[in-house]
Amino acid sequence: MKFSPAMKRALTVPKDGGCVVYLATTSLDGKPNMVPMRYVASFAEDKVLLADMFLLKTKANLKENPNCIVAIAYPIDADRGRWWAFRGMAVVMEYDMDPGYDWYGSKAGEVLEKWGRWEEKEPPLEVPPDIVYGVAVQRGVVVLHVTDAYSLRLGETGREVLER
Amino acid sequence: MTIQLTERMKAWIEGLGCHLCTAPEGIPNVVVAPLARVVGPARVAFPHSSDNFKTLYPKGFQKSWVSFGVSHLGSVRAPYQFKGVAEILYEGSLFLDLIKEHENQLGIAASVVLLVNVREVYCTKPGYLAGQRLDVLGYDGMCALEKSLGWIDVPSSFR
Repeated sequence: MKFSPAMKRALTVPKDGGCVVYLATTSLDGKPNMVPMRYVASFAEDKVLLADMFLLKTKANLKENPNCIVAIAYPIDADRGRWWAFRGMAVVMEYDMDPGYDWYGSKAGEVLEKWGRWEEKEPPLEVPPDIVYGVAVQRGVVVLHVTDAYSLRLGETGREVLER
Repeated sequence: MTIQLTERMKAWIEGLGCHLCTAPEGIPNVVVAPLARVVGPARVAFPHSSDNFKTLYPKGFQKSWVSFGVSHLGSVRAPYQFKGVAEILYEGSLFLDLIKEHENQLGIAASVVLLVNVREVYCTKPGYLAGQRLDVLGYDGMCALEKSLGWIDVPSSFR
């Protein structure tokens, strides 16, 4: 499975033409949690990366249940439509992890080296001053191994959209 | 505790529609509900087309938790996450009104209305308020917080 070029463009931070996404997780007993995320990137052909900043329930959920979804939140109508939800299993790669820790082919050392100081790499310049946080405290990177993707567009919701 | 959504919350929910998430089997399912109507102090109704509903409940409807947040958010202008337990409507005046509105506005038939009784409201603004449970503040407390943070904007359709 791999992302299309349009998906890769969408899975970047908003200031570079990308998207705000919703990260949906759930506790094992089925109580969902869904939060908007600004720091997003695609990695390899089937990984979505998100910054672990300010994550509370999301992180607790991922530590007991890796199943999650990244859904495009905005702009969903850009280009010819970004009505996508990416489903798979995620782990939080945190500092001090064994650099050789492997999540479906992605190594913690490489991910943290490239995205461990994400705010410095891609500062939130497009975020209005009344909304942006004061100090970013990143604790790691959420790595979603995408196993399938489906359409969020009304009338075709659920239809598979990922190239195989 | 009885929850009453603030006017600003209602305006964003109805103005932009919502992303909804269910996970009755411990696996999340997300859909976009472009049409949302607040039908009580903390009750929100979402008419769904059959494809949407099947994605939300792959094994059929189960009474379980639903989480939702406002769609089309560029920079977290409406930093709320709502959680509640859903019931479904297949008949009645509310059902008929919303089915008709869905078809008129979106051109797609809806077959069911999901009615979410909101039990928890959280803040999703990045920073010290991230994850703060808001409904425990009560209606006046939530309004006061919105005011103190300058959260006074609503979608343009509500101005």
